[in-house]
Amino acid sequence: MSDIHIDGLTKQFDDVTAVDDISLDIDSGEFLVFVGPSGCGKSTTLRMIAGLESITSGELRIGERRVNELAPKERSIAMVFQNYALYPHMTGAENMKFGMKSVSDYTDDEIDERVREAAEILDIPELLERKPKELSGGERQRVAIGRAIVREPDVFLLDEPLSNLDAKLRVQMRAELLQLHREIDATTLYVTHDQTEAMTLGDRVAVLNDGQIEQVDPPQVLYDYPATRFVAEFIGSPAMNVVPIELHGDGDGVSARHEAFDLPLPDAGDLAGHSGGASLGVRPEDVSLARNVDGERWTFEAEVSVTEPLGESLLLHCLIGDDEIHVKAEARSEINAGDVIELGVDEERLHVFDESGDAIYHSSPRERTAEDVETRAEH
Amino acid sequence: MPEFTKPYESRWQAFLLLLPTFAVLIAFLYYPGVETFRLSLQQTILLGTRKTFVGLDNYVSLFTSSAYHWSFAISVAFAAVVVIGTLAASLFVAYLLFQVDVGSSTYLIAAIWPYALPTAVAASVLLFLLHPSLGIITFVLESLTGTSLEWFTNGPQAFAIVALVAIWKQLGYNIIFMVAALNNIPETLTESAKLDGVGHLKMLYRVYVPLMSPTLVFLVVMNTIYAFFQTFPLVDLMTSGGPNEATNLLIFKLYRDAFEFSNLGLASAESVVLFAIVAILMYVQLRLSESYTTYA
Amino acid sequence: MATSSTSESTLARLLPEDVDAEQAVIHGGLVLSIFLMGLPLLLALIMSTQNTTEVYQVTNVGIGSEGLSNYGTVLGEYNFGQYMINSVVMSIIIVVGKVTLSLFAALALVYYRFPYERAVFMFILLTLLLPVPVRIVPLFDLMARLGWGNTLMAITGPYIASATAVFLFRQHFMAIPASLVENAHLDGVGPLTFLWKVLIPMSKGMIAGVSVITFIYAWNQYLWPLIIMTDQSKQVVQVGLRFLQAASQSGLTRWGIIMAGAVIALLPPLAVLIVLHKPLLETLAIQQK
Repeated sequence: MSDIHIDGLTKQFDDVTAVDDISLDIDSGEFLVFVGPSGCGKSTTLRMIAGLESITSGELRIGERRVNELAPKERSIAMVFQNYALYPHMTGAENMKFGMKSVSDYTDDEIDERVREAAEILDIPELLERKPKELSGGERQRVAIGRAIVREPDVFLLDEPLSNLDAKLRVQMRAELLQLHREIDATTLYVTHDQTEAMTLGDRVAVLNDGQIEQVDPPQVLYDYPATRFVAEFIGSPAMNVVPIELHGDGDGVSARHEAFDLPLPDAGDLAGHSGGASLGVRPEDVSLARNVDGERWTFEAEVSVTEPLGESLLLHCLIGDDEIHVKAEARSEINAGDVIELGVDEERLHVFDESGDAIYHSSPRERTAEDVETRAEH
Repeated sequence: MPEFTKPYESRWQAFLLLLPTFAVLIAFLYYPGVETFRLSLQQTILLGTRKTFVGLDNYVSLFTSSAYHWSFAISVAFAAVVVIGTLAASLFVAYLLFQVDVGSSTYLIAAIWPYALPTAVAASVLLFLLHPSLGIITFVLESLTGTSLEWFTNGPQAFAIVALVAIWKQLGYNIIFMVAALNNIPETLTESAKLDGVGHLKMLYRVYVPLMSPTLVFLVVMNTIYAFFQTFPLVDLMTSGGPNEATNLLIFKLYRDAFEFSNLGLASAESVVLFAIVAILMYVQLRLSESYTTYA
Repeated sequence: MATSSTSESTLARLLPEDVDAEQAVIHGGLVLSIFLMGLPLLLALIMSTQNTTEVYQVTNVGIGSEGLSNYGTVLGEYNFGQYMINSVVMSIIIVVGKVTLSLFAALALVYYRFPYERAVFMFILLTLLLPVPVRIVPLFDLMARLGWGNTLMAITGPYIASATAVFLFRQHFMAIPASLVENAHLDGVGPLTFLWKVLIPMSKGMIAGVSVITFIYAWNQYLWPLIIMTDQSKQVVQVGLRFLQAASQSGLTRWGIIMAGAVIALLPPLAVLIVLHKPLLETLAIQQK
């Protein structure tokens, strides 16, 4: 087990900067997920940590050691690949053993013992004598994970390990990975493009875009307090609605003006200086039909263009002015395309982003959850 | 280039791994290859003991020699006949193999075996079977057509016979590539044409041949190289270049000039001409295969 | 668009009798083509059993009175036993040498980082421009100076490195999934272990294919051994066929013996082709690229 310190890590491929000055500290035993769209630099970051890519600039430390110049086998890491990376001509056990001689000083007996133990942990003793082509996708991935466990590394690196599995198996393996992480308690770095996977697995999630870290936080914080418009739209499905607004301040406070509404923002004193163009973000589940809102809350009108029954809810595509927003309504609501409906918003869950995409306002202040963050990290 | 970072960095090891290949290529290919150019500028006298620089004399005598002109002309004609004959016959068999519903793998082996046929064996067998007076095939052909095969004395007939043997030996190689190319054509194209009721011959010329064209170009090049460079045993065993120089292909003439008449300078100049022919063919193949890849 | 007439003719095409008739023609065409391609060989086999008198009866195409004894004669009296051994030894040395050297070269080209990689590869590929006839005079000179005339070195040495084999192995190595290479990289597996435990087991088909191509190519060598091997007892079997043309009995060429020799000289490559046709076909499919 080791902590990892990343300081100004940069990777330059010819004239493309794949990873641009990333800094991040990862605690010992933490499960950290890198998530982002393809080409965001998440895999390259992982591969630099593994030693498969050279580091253009910046420093990488695992524990107390600077490892920039160390060969992969000297870094005490093990990696699991998306396509399992099993040698087709070797059995499960041979795959797990191959390379152990060069990476460690264990005797054959010790290696056999470790393979047996890892197979126990993963519940795959019967797969050890089979070759990859006789295994299902899930079984192959278990062998590949076993391969990593046998090495007892300080750091586990997983590169999209579940992407080649079907949806059902993915959910099951996700739970197993979490349980495994609890059992062996090693520092784990996990790369995925799937935000659901990131949210369910990570102690913390680092959202990457264009080679840079947009935000690193526990999943719920990421969801509730996106630091940037990119994070807001990337995390959560269906994605957060973001519509252009004008901020307008007067004596009574600040309001968000749109051609279809004028929404007063609660406790928005900080925004007083920010008059001008911005965007308002609100998640589909934080918009609701006005008839379901108590009292004299603020409402606005929208025209339904498409309805998508999702089963547990009904997703409405609504037009407000020229902008489209998504609204999660109750399942089986009697609403059809073409209807004009009254909508209200949860005023506790509003976000405002400035023109550069940075969040400048959350209607419930983030400080409230600071303690939660602490507790999570300690855990 | 592979998409992974290369795992090994020791230049010393890379050098050692490449060394044996490089040593052989330099000693036995590049060095003699370059020497050919040098020797082609020299004249050897007194059985190879003395060499003098003669500039382009060898080339001049080559290009003004009517015997060389003749040899060059019949080699080109020979290559043309072999290439066209091989492609036509192979395409016919390959198309049948492609169309057949059952037993295609058995038929395939039965059709590609000439790939393993040594040229000297092909020459020996057909020298006898097509022998003007003893050959059984000659006998049948003569009874069927009423003409007489006198290819030991008739130049054009000898040329045709040698070409025929050359084609026979080359069928296997061509069928292998053509069947592979046909099998690579997406089935949907075949099916949609079938639904439109396109006939077999039309399918072949309008659909398959255009789609196979990269393979066909490759085969034209390989068959041409074969016709120029690998047909020595045929001439040596069947005709010795005769009758009346009718089968005195460049490769055979080179052998005789070098090793029978010991005219090493002149023979080297002939080698340089052969080099030019390979170079042009390889260049054509490279350019055309490049243009096909950009199409695809 | 599909009019009623085309859909009718489509229907007609799919009628079973029609398809059967079509297939009968195709099978017929194939059997005929294959028969014609194999006919010379069949006749050679038959003639190889005939004695000289029978051979000279042109229309006699029955099994001859010699049975298999012509084969014994050609192997013993005409020294084909020795030629066959020479050819086998030469071909095996070339196959093993070429495969080994090319695997090493491809290992370096694909898995080592070194300067001018591209140039090194081009240097190897460009030897495709240098077939034996292009360098035959200096090569002969070189062998004479090395004192290699009449040695196995002379007929194997120039053939044990090859652009084609290096190219094929390189292509094959590059098609191995990157993560398998990286797995070994992460563990710091050494290059020879990687070659022996990973690359070779994963390239069995390609190695078999290159071996077949090389064997058939080596076995077919004629011009170069003819020139460089002046000692008849060291000659290869293809050139042995040339010596056989002089085989005569009371002024008559012994064609039965020559046919027996031709059949013997064909058997090894033919057997190799039949046994290993699968990897051969797969390998050739890559070669064209």
